[in-house]
Parts: sequence; structure tokens; C-alpha cells
Amino acid sequence: MSQLNLGHEEIVGRYINLTSDGIDYRIFYEEAGQGTPLICLHTAGTDSRQFRHVLNDPDVTSKCRVIAFDMPYHGRSNPPAEWWLKKYRLTTDTYLNLIHDFWLAIGIERPVVMGCSMGGAVTLGVAARYQDEITGIIGLESAAFAEGRDNDFLHHPAIHGGELAASYTYGLNAPSSPEAGCRENWWYYSQGGPGVYKGDVYFYCEDWDAREDIKRIDTNRCKVSLLTGEYDYSATPEMSRAAHEAITGSRFTVMEDIGHFPMIENYDRFRPYLLTELEQML
Amino acid sequence: MPDLPSSAWMEKYRETVNTDPEMAVIGDWFTVDFKISFEGNDFLISVREGKIVAIEHNPRFDRPAAFTLRAPMSVWNKFISPNPPPLYHDFFAMLMRVDEFQLDGNTLTTMQNARALHRMMNILKQMEPLDVAA
Repeated sequence: MSQLNLGHEEIVGRYINLTSDGIDYRIFYEEAGQGTPLICLHTAGTDSRQFRHVLNDPDVTSKCRVIAFDMPYHGRSNPPAEWWLKKYRLTTDTYLNLIHDFWLAIGIERPVVMGCSMGGAVTLGVAARYQDEITGIIGLESAAFAEGRDNDFLHHPAIHGGELAASYTYGLNAPSSPEAGCRENWWYYSQGGPGVYKGDVYFYCEDWDAREDIKRIDTNRCKVSLLTGEYDYSATPEMSRAAHEAITGSRFTVMEDIGHFPMIENYDRFRPYLLTELEQML
Repeated sequence: MPDLPSSAWMEKYRETVNTDPEMAVIGDWFTVDFKISFEGNDFLISVREGKIVAIEHNPRFDRPAAFTLRAPMSVWNKFISPNPPPLYHDFFAMLMRVDEFQLDGNTLTTMQNARALHRMMNILKQMEPLDVAA
């Protein structure tokens, strides 16, 4: 996927205005392909650009309508009104409601929901709460409970938050992943708004605990695939395995030579794992 | 006896940092004295505008350091390796998940310089392994 093909890509970006929890949002999303909707959820502090290789993969877009949206405050999605009067702290309920309201707003049914890191975590919540409305989830670097990434330096007046978030997360790539992919992800992280990464980490490390909820997931109603990179030290393979063992009928694979950002750090390496899970899910 | 870094090894590290094209881009504001401690053997690294200007082995107590990165050789040997195992493959990974890897001192200064320091740690990781059997 490293070769640059000149000319337009198939990806098309749009905005949609929607209401969630009584709050109005202007949401940016990009999409490509036709078929079963595949919603992609980005990691903390970044945006949907992380999924550009999935969106540009004909073996995916021939089967799926791939849709990646930027969460509010991220990428090209605006914060809600009067954002300057409230600290950004993503909560589990807000996150789940937004994802659900987004797919209702764009008029799709029974999507596969795929997310990575905090997006991977919340797919477990999507499966627990909306299992009769979805085809399944593909959780990348998913944990039902994750501690340890928060610190006050992530939003601090004496520290460049973008450089810190980008450098702090750079080590989450596998050592053998191509430098270009890792650096691209660094760039996306560096562009996060002030306090946004920390606000996402609040969800991931403080508010999020789905260890009981995931026991309700019935894989006869929605399929569950979990993929975790062996070099992920944030959502470790052991943490994903714990979620897998709590969900009867779920699938779990440790991806060799991959870290925390499979879809952007090393798509060529990630791709066979993804296609395998899509194959059994569709 | 652990294979501690020699003076020649540290000098090679200094040369590698000082000729690194990325450090030339990102190092302008990285001016600090910090220590790397290899199983109690301390090296005081003096950095000025992204260049290592001096390395002092086991400095006296009157040579202050803003912060110290401290680990036993068993940890450093996993880190300084062509194929580091998970959790030992990155400075921030070890800081989060390896209890024996410790950061002491002014952590604000550390994180203010996270980008350049991380680059210096990645250069350290790519040096010739100290334990050839590792």
C-alpha cells in the first residue's frame, strides 16, 4: 500500500448534522465502496485518516461500504456549541450514543463496527448494547478495562501537547512496522486539539469498564472478532484475551509483528487478518 | 558481570546522535543534563541544542541532572537489541509496563522534551548490543 497511485482515490468525504443526547453536532465522515456497512472508529486524539488504507482496499470496498467518521473535536468534526465553557471528557454513554446516532443519521442498517484502541474498546460496548442492530464487531486492540495511560502532562501549558501525544504513542507501533506508516500516525496525533487526547484517555482509562457488560454479548446475534498486535503495550494481548474469554463464541487472534495501530502502521501486514475476519463475518 | 557500556561505545552513541539528521531538525530546544544509569553505572549526558557535548561516567554528586533513566542491564539488553521483545521495544513502553525501568527527577522537563528524548532513546536502541548473547 506504499505505492502512490496518481489521480483521485475512491474515498469521498461529507458532512452530516445530527443530534445526540440533545446536543447538535456537525460530523465529518469519509466513505468508499458498496455492500455491508463497515463503520470505522479511530483511536484517541486522532481522526478517520487512520483508515485510509482500508478505504482504498478494493478487496474490502468490493464487499463493504466503508465509512469512517471523525468524532466531535477530532479531525474535521467540530466541537459542539460553547465547547469553550466545558472541559472535553469523553464518556462511555456519550460515545456509544454518538456511534449509534451516526449510523441512524446516515441511514444504514446492520453495520459491522470496527474500531481501534478506544474505538476498539467501545466496539465491545456497541456489541453489548446494540447486538440486535448490528452484524458484528471487529475490535482492534480492544480491552474491556484499561488503566494507565492518563497523566497530567497530556494537557499542560508548559508542554506541546501534540508533540507529546504523538511521541507518547509512537512506541505503540511494532519495531518492524514500516517507518512511513508509523510517522504518518505520529503526524495525525500531533494535530489533535488541546486536551482532546487527554479527554479521550479519560474515557479509555477512567470511565470505561465493560467487564460485566460484555458477558451479555450473544455471538449468535452479533459476531465478535478481536485482533490485537503482539507489541501493543496499551491494550495488551492479555487484555484482549480476557475480553475474548468473557464472550462465548468470539474470535481472537494475536497479530504478529504489529502494534497498537494495525490499519495505519503496517496495513500490508494487517490486511490478511482483516480480510479473514470480514470473510467469516459477512 | 554485566556488559556495561564502554567509553568507546558511549562515544559512538554521541557521534550517532550528533550526526542524526532528525535530531538536527527537532533538537534546537533540547538543552539539558540527564543521566542514563546502567545497573548503577551512571553516565551524565550533557545535551545542548540537540547535540551531546559531553558524557561523564559516574559523575560526582555536585553534577546535577534534570532526570535519570535507570534500569538493570537485563532490561537495557532487551531494549538495545535488533529484535526487542514486546514491552522492551520502546522507551515509553518500558516506562509504562516494565517496573525495573525507572524515570527519576524532573519529569516535567522530561516530557517537555519528549520528542527529542524519544529520538535519542530510539538511537540508543539501535546501537550495537552490549550483550552479544542477548
